[in-house]
Amino acid sequence: MLTLTIDRSLDHPVYEQVADQVRRLVASGALAPGTPLPSVRQLAGDLGVNLNTIARAYRLLEGEGFLVIRDRAGVVVAAPAEEIGHSARDELLDQMRAILARLRQAGMATDELLPIMRREVLAMDGGGKESDDE
Amino acid sequence: MSEAVVVNLFLTVRVLVVGGALLVLPRITRKGLLFGAYVGESLVERDAARRLRGRWNRGCVILMALSLLVGLAISWAGRPVAGNLTGTAVLLLGGLGLYLHFYFRARRLVPPAAAQQAEKAAAPLLGGGPKGVGLAKFALGLCTLVAVATFVYAIVSYETMSARSFVAVMFVPSLNLLFSPFFALLAILTAGAKRSVRGGSGGRSIEAQNAFRATMTNLLSWMALLICGFFTILSVQIIRIGRSEIGSLGVGIWVMAGIVFAFFLGNLIRIVRGYGQGGALMERGTAEAPLTNGLADNARWIWGLFYVDRDDPSIMVESRFGIGYTLNYGNRVAMLIVAAFLVLSLGLIALGLFGTLIGGG
Repeated sequence: MLTLTIDRSLDHPVYEQVADQVRRLVASGALAPGTPLPSVRQLAGDLGVNLNTIARAYRLLEGEGFLVIRDRAGVVVAAPAEEIGHSARDELLDQMRAILARLRQAGMATDELLPIMRREVLAMDGGGKESDDE
Repeated sequence: MSEAVVVNLFLTVRVLVVGGALLVLPRITRKGLLFGAYVGESLVERDAARRLRGRWNRGCVILMALSLLVGLAISWAGRPVAGNLTGTAVLLLGGLGLYLHFYFRARRLVPPAAAQQAEKAAAPLLGGGPKGVGLAKFALGLCTLVAVATFVYAIVSYETMSARSFVAVMFVPSLNLLFSPFFALLAILTAGAKRSVRGGSGGRSIEAQNAFRATMTNLLSWMALLICGFFTILSVQIIRIGRSEIGSLGVGIWVMAGIVFAFFLGNLIRIVRGYGQGGALMERGTAEAPLTNGLADNARWIWGLFYVDRDDPSIMVESRFGIGYTLNYGNRVAMLIVAAFLVLSLGLIALGLFGTLIGGG
């Protein structure tokens, strides 16, 4: 059973914690396209957080193409886009470069970074289990 | 059987049921909780907690004996009804006092780590919607329809009756109109109640919560239907007495009341034995995974009895002490429901008192 966990004691906002976990689960294939997710009310109730927190996370994920929000059918996992526009791709690559720069600045060497990046990409292609429950 | 014997019997049964429940509750509580306080999964097994539970058992036995003695003594002095009421008051107020004493003792045992755990929450991402909600909605529709029809029938029938008090005729249909839809509404709210899940339990904790919640929903739905059936038949019998078609209510109605009570008590015992508090017995193997989701947060619980969280959209949450669910007193919808129920209940009491005062009976 897939579980989403939040920790209010962290500085990371709750809506971002939710979005991060859903992104990872979708990218790893643990959440397949078309899979229904709990309603905003159900998830907010289970986690004990404000409705707006979950609504904000869902809207963010919808904007990023991870989820599709339908009025009656609820929230479902979106299918991956068949092609990505140049501007969207450039924006994401810019974000990735910024994160790599921060990691380098944090003291990570190239021989540390490369295996991690390789492992993460491979996990998205085949390993759907590692984010399960917790 | 004389009136005194019947009243004393009722008091004895009440003391045994309530006192027995108080004795059993700490044994079926979800791991990590101690008398309404979250003390953590490891601390509940330690000596201090064991000693508290031992003292609780002795306190419950003394309370049961005291309420029986006081009640029966007043009854034997020639006032059985006053004895029954006093014995019940001693039992309920004493039970509350006993609980609060042990709650504050348990709060002193809470380690700092429990506060950190309270910051965490887990929720299932899959698994579909709540179960049992279909039956609950059906019960709400049917109960409302039948209760309204009975109420209208009682008003219309009043004209055809010989010398009966309006209050005496309308009291039971009014009770029906209040209680049977209320039970069905509770069932609907229970179907969507907040689940307090143990994170990292491999899904077993969620399965336990879902199974427990569905069982409680079904019990409340069936109770709504049974209460509606009982009050409807009772209303019709009262109207028939008013029309001089029958002389008394008959034994059947008391048999039916006994069946409704036995159904409720039997199912409650089944849930206690099979599930424990919130499915506690089903998730025994996952007890090492810490409790989360508000149930672990002592700051959100007043006396371990009242959950207050304005940010939490849940209307119903799992009880910390006792079996079943309680309201989130920080939620506006929950408070509206409480206010509506209180106003209607007070209205009914006023109706009964007014009828008695003007000599209606």
